[in-house]
Amino acid sequence: MRRAPLWVAALLPLAAGVVLAVLGRAGRLPGGRLFLSALPGDWALAAGAALSLLAVVGLGAAALRDRTWRRRLAERVAEAGQDRRLLLSRLDHELKNPLTAMRAATANLAAVADPAQDAAVGTIEEQVLRLSRLTTDLRKIADIESARIDRRPVDLTDLIEEMVDVARDLPGAAERQISVDLPRAPWPLPPVPGDADLLSLAVANLLDNALKYTPPGGRVEVRAREAAGEVVVEVADTGQGIPPDELPQVWEEMYRSPSARAVPGSGLGLPLVRAVVERHGGSVHADSRVGSGTLVRLALPSARHQA
Amino acid sequence: MTTVLLVDDEAAITDNLAPFLQRSGFEVVVAGDGDAALARVAAGRPDLVVLDVLMPGRDGRSVLRELRRGGSTVPIILLTQVGESVERAMALEEGADDYLNKPFDPHELVARIRAVLRRGTPAAGPSLAAAHRLRSGSLVLDRTSQRVLRDGAEVVLTPRATTLLAYLMTHAGETVSRERLLEEVWGWSFHTSTRTVDTRVAELRRAVEADSGDPQLVVTVPGEGYRFAGPVEAA
Repeated sequence: MRRAPLWVAALLPLAAGVVLAVLGRAGRLPGGRLFLSALPGDWALAAGAALSLLAVVGLGAAALRDRTWRRRLAERVAEAGQDRRLLLSRLDHELKNPLTAMRAATANLAAVADPAQDAAVGTIEEQVLRLSRLTTDLRKIADIESARIDRRPVDLTDLIEEMVDVARDLPGAAERQISVDLPRAPWPLPPVPGDADLLSLAVANLLDNALKYTPPGGRVEVRAREAAGEVVVEVADTGQGIPPDELPQVWEEMYRSPSARAVPGSGLGLPLVRAVVERHGGSVHADSRVGSGTLVRLALPSARHQA
Repeated sequence: MTTVLLVDDEAAITDNLAPFLQRSGFEVVVAGDGDAALARVAAGRPDLVVLDVLMPGRDGRSVLRELRRGGSTVPIILLTQVGESVERAMALEEGADDYLNKPFDPHELVARIRAVLRRGTPAAGPSLAAAHRLRSGSLVLDRTSQRVLRDGAEVVLTPRATTLLAYLMTHAGETVSRERLLEEVWGWSFHTSTRTVDTRVAELRRAVEADSGDPQLVVTVPGEGYRFAGPVEAA
C-alpha cells in the first residue's frame, strides 16, 4: 500500500489524457483538429526514444530496489549474528552457576561415596567437565567474532613449523606421516597482520583434526604459498573424508557428521578455525572425497597486500 | 582454624561448596548477598573472602570496593563470570587478590585459597594483586600503562606477554601450570596448544632475563609449569 501514491502518479498522465479526450469529443476544448506529420525515420526515432526512456526508468527502479534489498539483507544478517552472540552469551551465563554447583556436589560425592559408586561419580564428573568445556568454547568463538584482536605481523612459516612440531607429539602422530612444504625461494611467505596466538590455535586445530580422522599409516600434508595478496595455508589428509552434502555444515557450531561419531570431539574445532580466519579478513574452504581424504584451505590477507 | 567467608546468592553453590571447603580444613561462613557479606566481614573478621561477582542487589564488585575503601585488607578471591581477560584484570586492579572463572574445579578453589593465604598481605600498602606497579629487583611492571622497565629502560613486549608477566608476578612463588595460564591469560579452554604458553614465556625471558638461557625470574618447573622466582613487591 506504501506504493499507492506512486501508482497514482504513474497513471496520472493516462487519466489526464482520458479526461482531455472526453472533453475534446464533447467539443469543450478550444481549437480545431491537430495535424502532425513527420518522416518515417523521425517516427522511428521518437518511438525508439520513448521505448528506451521506459526501459531506463524501469532499470533505474530495479537497481534502486536491489540496493534497498541488499541493505535490508545485510541488516538481517547482522541482526541474526548479534542475536546468536547474545544467545550464546546468555546460555553460557545461565549454565555457569548450575555447572559450578554440580562440580562442587560431585566433588563432595567423590569424597564420601562407597567404592561401588566410583564409576558413576566418575562419569558424572567427566560429563560435567565436558559440559563446562563446551560452554566455554562456544563463548570463546563468540568472543573471537566480536573482541578486538592483535594486528602485528605474524610469520606463518615459524608458526606452522612450531604447530607441526606440537602435532608430532600428539598421541598417534608417530603412526602417521606428517610432511611440511613451505616456500623459501624466491622468497619466504610474507607476514600476515594478526594475532599469532589465535592463528596458531587455528593451525593446531586443523592438524589435530587431520590426525584424528586419518587412519594409522596415512599422510598429513601441510602446505603454504603466497597468491594474489594472500597467504594460502592447506592442511590435507588421507583420512576417511566427508560426504559432499555434509561439507558445508562442518563449519557450523556443534555439527558432527554421523560418520564421525566414533571419533571424540565437540564439533567446535572447525567453527573456531573459521571464526579466527574470518576475523583476520580471510576465508576458509574445505574439499573432500569419501575414502580418499580432506583438504582444508585457509586464505589470509598478507601484510604486503594491505600495505 | 582459618575462616573463609563464602558469598554467593545461589544456594545450590553455597550448599555444596561450604561442606567441600569444610572437608578441606576451613571453617566456613556463608553470606547470600552483598550486604550480608559486608556485615559478616565487620562482625567476624574472616581470614579470606570468596566472593561471587554477579549477585542481585549489591554485587561482588561493589562489596570489594566498599571493603577496600574501608581499609580492609582481608584477602578476596572473586568468582567471575566474564570470559574476557581485560575485565578480570580490572577486578584485580580494584583490589581482588585472585579470581576464578565459573564453573571451576572446587579443588582449584582450595588451591587458590591456600596460595593467597600463603602469599599473605604485606604489612603496609596494597596487596600485589591490587598494586599498580610491581617491582622485582631492577624489573618494574607498570600495570596501568602496561609498560615494562628493566634498569629504567623500557622493554618492548607484546600485550599478551605483558599480561603473562603480570599474572606470574602477582602469583610470585606459585607454580602455575600451562593449562591454567592458557585459561587465565589467554582465556582459552582449548588445551591443544600449550606450546603457545612456551612461546610467550620465551619472548618474556628474552626481554626480562639477564641471560635467557639461564632464567632467574621466570623459571620452568619440569612437568608442572612456570614460576616467578624473584621477590616481588608493590612499588
